Amino acid sequence: MRMRTASAISAGLHIAVLLWATLSFTGKSFDAPQPDPLPVNLISDKEFSELTKGVKQAPKPVEKPKPLVEKKADEVKPVEEIKPKIDDKKPEIKPTAEQVPPPAPLPKPDPIAEKLKSEPDPRAAKADPAPLPPHKPSRPQPKFDASKIAALLDKREPERKAALGSDLNSSPSLGAPMGNAARLSQSELDALRARLMALWNPPDPGRDAERLRITIRITFTRGGMLAAPPIVLTSGSGPRFMAMRDSAVRAVLIGQPYTMLRPEHYDSWREIDFTFDTSEMYKDLPTR
Amino acid sequence: MNPDVAQSALPLTSSDLSLLTLFWHAHWIVKSVMIGLLGCSVWVWAIFIDKTVLYAHSRKAMDRFEQAFWSGDSLDELYRSLSSKPNHSMAALFVAAMREWKRSFEGAPKSFAGLQARIEKVMDVTIAREVERLERRLLVLATIGSAGPFIGLFGTVWGIMTSFQSIAASKNTSLAIVAPGIAEALFATALGLVAAIPATIFYNKFAAEVNKQAQRLESFADEFAAILSRQIDLNGVRGA
Repeated sequence: MRMRTASAISAGLHIAVLLWATLSFTGKSFDAPQPDPLPVNLISDKEFSELTKGVKQAPKPVEKPKPLVEKKADEVKPVEEIKPKIDDKKPEIKPTAEQVPPPAPLPKPDPIAEKLKSEPDPRAAKADPAPLPPHKPSRPQPKFDASKIAALLDKREPERKAALGSDLNSSPSLGAPMGNAARLSQSELDALRARLMALWNPPDPGRDAERLRITIRITFTRGGMLAAPPIVLTSGSGPRFMAMRDSAVRAVLIGQPYTMLRPEHYDSWREIDFTFDTSEMYKDLPTR
Repeated sequence: MNPDVAQSALPLTSSDLSLLTLFWHAHWIVKSVMIGLLGCSVWVWAIFIDKTVLYAHSRKAMDRFEQAFWSGDSLDELYRSLSSKPNHSMAALFVAAMREWKRSFEGAPKSFAGLQARIEKVMDVTIAREVERLERRLLVLATIGSAGPFIGLFGTVWGIMTSFQSIAASKNTSLAIVAPGIAEALFATALGLVAAIPATIFYNKFAAEVNKQAQRLESFADEFAAILSRQIDLNGVRGA
């Protein structure tokens, strides 16, 4: 009797809780905030390998020009006060700045001037009218040496920047990725190397394991198959060499569909000289 | 089963995750598990209400009876008032012992010899019966407490199987395909825990309560047996 009322109470409680849960959970939908879009660049493995190549060598050319600039800057410092005046003339002076590197002619005019002085004037006028004009301005130059040098030094500042830029540009690794475009990328070569080294099963080196290198010329078809039987370029003799050579040729034959080589660059990998090196193969073995 | 699964999984992509939709879209096995667990939960709470009332009532009645017993009133009177319907354990114990005592005295050949043993035996039986009455349905609590999570887990496993089948059917692993099935599956485990946790707690609580009351009955029985034994000895001496 009491159990029945207890059951009724319990059932009523459960229904009430379920109703509450249903009502309270229904209305709410989960609003996931839209994530911010992330910029993604798709690059091929070749681009990636070239990218990393560039980055590795990049810091070196940047470091080199710096000390040079600092040395120059130390010498120039006192003259920098004149900057504002000369800044306006910069565009005009640039062409002369290119001629500046021959400040060497400055000492030259002295012997020439002596000669000119010693020799009679008419001859000089007849002989070279062209050299004279550079000499004539060179004569007043010694008077203004300090100011001219200052001007030159001032011009070097823009020059230095330009030099920096040219230095940077001159380094092949940083700037031009197009230079490597026709080449096999490192990842492709590495993939080929990994494939061949995995398949290469050379005979046991034995006690007197000397280093053996066997170069094999592999000619591919566009589909990554062998166009011709591999040609052994290394000559040698002895049973060990023969075994090595045969195993290398076998590896080349076994690994035939070389799918890691992409047909876009077929020209670059139509013919590859691949070197099987025992020192690489037995690297992991304990050496005696 | 696969087409069913696909049909049941796809409409759920409306991401309506209310309890009712969770329930309605579940596989019938998961549904029956959920209903069973809900029933278990109802049953657990019904037992809880029933036992709480019963034990409180029983405790109060024992207090009242002990007060009346030790008040110094005549035991015969107490027996007369209770013998018609002993309404709690201690009264039942007292009535059983007194009845045995009365019978032994009212018979033509008064039999004192085994009276002590008989009374103790009668009281033991009564205690056993009363304890059995007190702890009736407690085993249900223990069973639900231990098996509830497993039943819920069964529902969950089944639901996750279904959701994987829906992945296979739709050839799509997006969260919208998988999530509803997993949600409804986890709902089964939640129900199992909802039923099992109170059941375990109540079982421990009530088991302790039954133990306490049984202890109380035992001690009363010992005390009453001592009193009756003294009376028997006195009567025996007087009779002899």
